[in-house]
Amino acid sequence: MNAIEVDHLSKHFGKLVALNDISFSVSEGETFGFLGPNGAGKTTTIRLLTGISPPTGGKATIFGKDIVKETTAARKQMGIVHETSNIYDDLSAWQNLMFTAELYTIGKKEREERGKELLELFGLWERRTDRVHGFSKGMKRRLTLAMGLINNPRLLFLDEPTSGLDVQSNLIIREVIRDLNSKGVTVFLTTHNIEEANVACDRVAIINRGSIAAIDSPERLKTTIQSAQSVEVAFGSAATGRERDLQQLPGVSEVRKEGDKFRLFTRNPSDVIAEVMEYAHLNNTRVLSINTLGPSLEDVFIKLTGLEIRTKGVSTVD
Amino acid sequence: MGRNGQLYAELNAAWAIAKKDIAIYYFKPNIIVSGALFPLFMFLAFAAGNSAGPSVMIPGLIAITILFSASSIEPVSIPIERRMKTFDRLVSAPISLHAVVLGESLSGFLYSTGIAFVPLIAGLLIFRTPVISIAPLVAGILLTSFCFATMGTLFAAYPTESPGDIMSMLNLVRLPLIFISGVFIPIESIPSIGKVAVYFSPLTYGNDLIQAAYNGHSHFSLLVDVAMLFIFILIFQIFANQLYKRWNE
Repeated sequence: MNAIEVDHLSKHFGKLVALNDISFSVSEGETFGFLGPNGAGKTTTIRLLTGISPPTGGKATIFGKDIVKETTAARKQMGIVHETSNIYDDLSAWQNLMFTAELYTIGKKEREERGKELLELFGLWERRTDRVHGFSKGMKRRLTLAMGLINNPRLLFLDEPTSGLDVQSNLIIREVIRDLNSKGVTVFLTTHNIEEANVACDRVAIINRGSIAAIDSPERLKTTIQSAQSVEVAFGSAATGRERDLQQLPGVSEVRKEGDKFRLFTRNPSDVIAEVMEYAHLNNTRVLSINTLGPSLEDVFIKLTGLEIRTKGVSTVD
Repeated sequence: MGRNGQLYAELNAAWAIAKKDIAIYYFKPNIIVSGALFPLFMFLAFAAGNSAGPSVMIPGLIAITILFSASSIEPVSIPIERRMKTFDRLVSAPISLHAVVLGESLSGFLYSTGIAFVPLIAGLLIFRTPVISIAPLVAGILLTSFCFATMGTLFAAYPTESPGDIMSMLNLVRLPLIFISGVFIPIESIPSIGKVAVYFSPLTYGNDLIQAAYNGHSHFSLLVDVAMLFIFILIFQIFANQLYKRWNE
């Protein structure tokens, strides 16, 4: 049985189409990434899959339970970590956890044991009696994740879990996701952090303007755009007009300046390396480093979402 | 989980929601002002120069205290929770909307029941106003509190993140209720056009029960008062559920 089965799901807000007939499935134990720009429909999808919002059309099941007709049974299988750290600032970390446990009807002894275990796991046990009001953003996010795990869910929805966090919180959360996955917990992760999806997910769906543009493993997605191979080069000295000069090299289709380096997109990296070395010699500069790069998930994402040309007039519902 | 198990889960969650509200919202300044101080000042404004004795004024004060205190918690707490996104936590839990509405109403009910003791004790100790019959007093306080707590929850269904939006709408209903419910103006003295409205106000029946506890006589049969309050509670609960469902998209 699949953890999630989505069948022709759609959501309209008046004339605005937030989700347009999407279908996919997530296997049990899989970490599934839902990747898309802001306003693509990621959060709307989570709201539908968790039964907060009803779909306009189509159907979704969680471990075989229809999220509209068997909402309570479906929700018992899941933990939800919302995009914003939706915790009660006026309560302590412990009170927040215990309140969530009571919503899931977890017995007193069990919720206290589980609460202690989670607060220790997320490095918050020493601060358990403090009001959350004084917590940092990272601590609040860790507590939100602990609250999402209080019922030992088989499926965890994570909406932008590491967005804008400090390094320590990021590492803790990523480690916990890896650990959950190794224990067979299914993770549904929405993110616009491409690298996060690349390293954490077994499969990724790229969603754009309410429709799914592609679904596959990160590596297989990258192979779909071999034309996005590139050569990354750093020169010993800066010079004006270098980007324009590099653009003139035969075989180079596009040049992107990335920090102190240039990224030259090409179908033929070896020829371009030779041309770059010759260019450096003719311009009396040294090549500090030169590497060939395959297409990244970011390249796939940019190609499929047309992100660079989308600048104006986009309605967002995310 | 069987039907009984799910019912237990729903009641347990409703109680957890009420406890959470007690811990967070009971002592918020805007709740104290609108729930406790506002009815007191309303009472003083009407009591000044009024020739009716304490046995009429004290039950009236209890009734309007319940009206304002019971309906003041959710119109403040729910918009704040929408803004903080904590309301999503309630509506995504494995419980029905009925449990959410019940839990929210419960916190207003408990707050109001507690506040109602202030004029009650003040009446007994300061104005020496005896309670003739305990049963209608208990029924009046409990049912009226729950009725107006549910009404507050119903109004808070309006999808806004600003408590002020809901309070404005609520006051449009709460203030006229005082004049058509026999609290300060006896029902017999209300102009005939207003007498029709009397029957549509839950405060009429709550006030009638409380007046009966102090004066030994009531405008309606006490059974009618109790039945009408139950009917209003049921209507408000059902409407609240429908509205939260509709506006929760």
